[in-house]
Amino acid sequence: MRRFEKSLYDLIRGLRNHKGNEKEYIQKTLKECRAEVRSQDMDLKATALLKLIYLEMVGHDMSWASFHVLEVMSSPKYHQKRVGYLGAVQSFRHDTEVLMLATNLLKKDLAATSPTVISLPIATLPHVITPSLALSTLADLLPRLNHSHANIRKKTLVTLYRLALVYPEALRAAWPKIKDRLMDPNEDPSVTAAIVNVVCELGSRRPNDFLPLAPRLFELLVDSGNNWMAIKLIKLANLLVQFASLTPLEPRLVRKLLPPLTNIIRTTPAMSLLYECINGIIQGGILDSAEDVAGADEIATLCVNKLRGMIMINGDANLKYVALLAFNKIVLTHPHLVSQQEDVILECIDSSDITIRVQALNLVKGMVSSDNLVPVVSRLMKQLKSSLPSKDRRVPGSSANTPETESDDEAQTAITAPTVRDTQALLLPDDYRIDIIERILYMCSKDNYSSVLDFDWYIDVLTQLVRMAPVPRTFDADTGALLPTRQQVDVAEKVGDELRNVAVKVRAMRATAVRAADLILDQLLSENPVGHSLSSGALKSAIWIIGEYAIQLAMPDDSLNGLLQAIPRIGKAEILAVALHATAKVFSSIAGSELEPWTAERKSRISLLLARILDVLEPLALHPSLEVQERAVEFIELLKLTAEAVSGQPPSTDENHQEPPLLLTQAIPSLFTGWELNSVAVHAQKNVPLPDGLDLDEPIHGNLGRLLSQTDIVTLQSDEADDFEVYYHQRPPPSSLSSSTPAISRLADPEDDTAGSYQQPSEESYLDADILAKRKAERMEKNKDDPFYIPSDNILRTSTPIHNILQNNNGPALDIDSIPVMQLDLDKIGHTVAAPSRPRPQPRQRVVVATDETLEGSDSGTGRQYDSENSSLAKARSKKSKQHSLLQVDSSTIGSFSLEGNASEAFDYERQQREEAEMQQAMKEVERLRLEMQRANERIQMAQGADVQGVVIKKKTKKKATAKKAADGDEAEATKAKPRKKVKKAAPQAVEGGGDDTGGAAASGTPPAKAAPKKKKKKKPAPVEEAEGAV
Amino acid sequence: MINAFLVFNGQGQPRLTKFYTQLNTQGGFAETITRQKQDTSIQQRLISEIFTLVSNRPAGSCNFLPLPPLLAASSTSHTSTEEQSDVPSLVTYRHYATLYFIIISTTTESPLALIDLIQVYVEALDKLFENVCELDLIFNFETLHATLSEMIIGGVVIETSLDRIVAGVRAQGTVAKRPVNEGRSTIGSGMGIGGNFAWTGRV
Repeated sequence: MRRFEKSLYDLIRGLRNHKGNEKEYIQKTLKECRAEVRSQDMDLKATALLKLIYLEMVGHDMSWASFHVLEVMSSPKYHQKRVGYLGAVQSFRHDTEVLMLATNLLKKDLAATSPTVISLPIATLPHVITPSLALSTLADLLPRLNHSHANIRKKTLVTLYRLALVYPEALRAAWPKIKDRLMDPNEDPSVTAAIVNVVCELGSRRPNDFLPLAPRLFELLVDSGNNWMAIKLIKLANLLVQFASLTPLEPRLVRKLLPPLTNIIRTTPAMSLLYECINGIIQGGILDSAEDVAGADEIATLCVNKLRGMIMINGDANLKYVALLAFNKIVLTHPHLVSQQEDVILECIDSSDITIRVQALNLVKGMVSSDNLVPVVSRLMKQLKSSLPSKDRRVPGSSANTPETESDDEAQTAITAPTVRDTQALLLPDDYRIDIIERILYMCSKDNYSSVLDFDWYIDVLTQLVRMAPVPRTFDADTGALLPTRQQVDVAEKVGDELRNVAVKVRAMRATAVRAADLILDQLLSENPVGHSLSSGALKSAIWIIGEYAIQLAMPDDSLNGLLQAIPRIGKAEILAVALHATAKVFSSIAGSELEPWTAERKSRISLLLARILDVLEPLALHPSLEVQERAVEFIELLKLTAEAVSGQPPSTDENHQEPPLLLTQAIPSLFTGWELNSVAVHAQKNVPLPDGLDLDEPIHGNLGRLLSQTDIVTLQSDEADDFEVYYHQRPPPSSLSSSTPAISRLADPEDDTAGSYQQPSEESYLDADILAKRKAERMEKNKDDPFYIPSDNILRTSTPIHNILQNNNGPALDIDSIPVMQLDLDKIGHTVAAPSRPRPQPRQRVVVATDETLEGSDSGTGRQYDSENSSLAKARSKKSKQHSLLQVDSSTIGSFSLEGNASEAFDYERQQREEAEMQQAMKEVERLRLEMQRANERIQMAQGADVQGVVIKKKTKKKATAKKAADGDEAEATKAKPRKKVKKAAPQAVEGGGDDTGGAAASGTPPAKAAPKKKKKKKPAPVEEAEGAV
Repeated sequence: MINAFLVFNGQGQPRLTKFYTQLNTQGGFAETITRQKQDTSIQQRLISEIFTLVSNRPAGSCNFLPLPPLLAASSTSHTSTEEQSDVPSLVTYRHYATLYFIIISTTTESPLALIDLIQVYVEALDKLFENVCELDLIFNFETLHATLSEMIIGGVVIETSLDRIVAGVRAQGTVAKRPVNEGRSTIGSGMGIGGNFAWTGRV
């Protein structure tokens, strides 16, 4: 004892003394341990093992020592045995091979007399349990449920529960006994508590079995003074009620449960119990099933108010957290109760504690409506903005902006939440930032943007989000390591996709979206130093928008310029391909005008432009990505042709009118114009009806081979009624605008652009200064210069004339930013609960949000587009979770297992014993055979040695020693490998087959003998005689 | 159910690791030995992830952590409640002097009760060691395991009474004292149990 203590002590002290070169020291120690653990001296072995366990804790694998663990486990001395078992708990897995050999040892120790020894295998089994191990130890465990020590009883029943998780039959055998224990009023209270814990675990998987226990559990709930057990009882009751509400078996249960629960709520001093009561009442559906409505209401109010109180209590973050946790559960069944608590929940979004924030966010996500979307998103944006790392890109000027608004913010929040101030300094982890951004996108795009009233605001938010999105670390070139999937998601790409969605779906906002896209491109170009590649995921969508809606670009030349600058710096092929297309589109919109006279100036301008584009595109003709290469080559050729045509067409002079080249005005624009692209529902394709008479299995032609051989001879008959040709060449023009006159007719588009409401009641301190400036400028611009402003505004917002008048009167001088409108907003939130009459809903900005296109009979109705994008994400996630979570227990078998199964299936204790006996016999047989072989071997050796008889005995003892050594030491390692393999294959067969087949058991070869080396020693005299007899 | 009980110090060095459910590593039919090596390294990764989370908590935060990425990746689905009750979804921690105590558990455990469970554990250690400090735990990690196995078996709590736990550990043999010559100066005062926390009354 002393010695090994000393030596673990030495190890630890050594570790402490070798700060700096610990690794070296540990390696040295590991080497020593490796030698020590093989020694004959059990003390030394145990000491080495203890050191190994310690080193395992700090991250040094010890699975190689599993055989030595087994040896120490079998030590007769308790303090060594304990170390061995600890080693098993810490290092064995259910697939550890030597586990097979441990079965007998476990069984033996389970039958020990000393309770401390019995505890060891009981506590170890849950860590290593496998179905076959469960099968063979069950019979030894069951009697322990009646052990005189309460300590053993409760440990046993928990272990039986873990057995049942992998081997459901165990539950069938153990359940009657466990039930008896539970029903016994004289049972030790701590055993009862342990049973309740186990039943609670089981109850979550199979509540139906425990309904009959309800009276006893109820009794315990009323009488017990043990809070821990009461909590579990409430959790269990909750499950039972949930179950009972599904099958109207026990309507009385709820009526009986309610009084004691409310009693506990009113009287208990224990906060945890109070919390679980509330949680149980609401979540368990007790409210719904209660018969008298008035009473239920009263309780509901009581509960929710208590939870509200928990959030409001200052200083106790734990209560805040659990209350939010409860709300998160309640919101599934009683959303109205939670939405009343909006004010306190919103408060929590700004908590300094990320755990609380996340919970609050989960709640808020479901609570947003058009009324509170803007304030909620504003809060989140502020968080994001204030948490930006200082090195992060901040547009000059924004720093001046921030402190002012912060102090403003503080003044507003101080009344209700004085501790919120810390938030501003908090640096948020990227994960959380990504999470927030995703939630913002989710909230805004929910139900096809039904909550977004002001799309200008939304587009500005998106622009800002692109800047704040954390750069995904997958692009980190220096670390090749794969990051967890969450971090791989480029959230900027999602933001970009949102912008694209808005541009596609909200026609009226298209011009704004295009401007935003332009801005994003500019920004990315300017903030990334020249030579660095552009990697933002938002680039793809931004470039696509610029290209697709090139007509609406304010300054197409500048945009094209930006594109041309960007192309050489884009790293991802996917984005590059989009950029190539966009370039061509923008060029076509710049150069393709038919009406503009073909002057010398235009000619030279276009020639220059073409030369520039070609210059940028040409290197891409050799791009490694085929898609990029193909597009580049196509456009290069096309543009070269165009360049020729341009130079060949003399400019028109005063006397000589010249048309611009047709290639420029007709051919290229026609590539890109036509039907407008609309968003299509994800499942639309599925809804395309199968045409009658279409049989996909039918061969295209009866004799295809002949047909193919004829193709050489037969010339295509042109006059065959070619529906295909007709369809494609004579189809009606897609819309009023024909492809030849795209520019003019489409220029009209922006005119029905709405003048969006800029009276947005929010102080957009979270937007960068330049975006704010832009907003302001736009506002002024529209008010001052837009001759259509007033009439169009009247048409669009007839419902708010006062609004208009105000806006018109204040006109350009109105400085929105100086009005602290946010304050009003907070008031509004504060009042929502107090005053049930909500403020008049804001008039929705009259913009048409296009729904996804789909076909009749589609089940994915309108507005599903984003949802489905989300759900596909969720699907991916759920798919992922199909793989087991780390640390998760697989209990899938036990749920489907029936306790009251038919008799034939029932656990047959006798059969089990019979099988055991057979197994024993088989093992004996194996042992006998082994000894026989050993004898034969010895005889051969003896013959070789040609010694006198006296030596044989000596040799035998030596042999024994070496055999033992061989079993222990590394000499055996080579030989061990072989039998081990055999064990692996044969042993499960032997155990699972119930051992009824002797041959099968015999096939398992030596392992049983090896498993109990001691047994071998003891039994030696007898089997040897037996063997001699046999020989 | 409790999935794991961890103790580590302010530098993230583990002082006790106990996993009641196995770390399911994906990777198909990797050889057992390498998988176990992986297990050990995943355990270490989990500890360091939790340590990062726990060491960045501002003062006054609650005793619950967001799921570390290693656990979060696989437990985000909310498909069925049955699935939920098996997945580790709650990380509770407490901070005493130089040590962090962590419990990873599923939803069947009550969060507030877990906070108290840690308190009981620390109080039991305090009783066993008399004014416990980190050094006691370093040099007697066997006792740490013994104490824990009097409270939790296979992830299920079996005992919450302080006296019974202490008696159970003592029944297994004498609890060694810390080495005398290893001064306590490195740690400072004990862990200051009871005085700094108002939670004792809750369970």
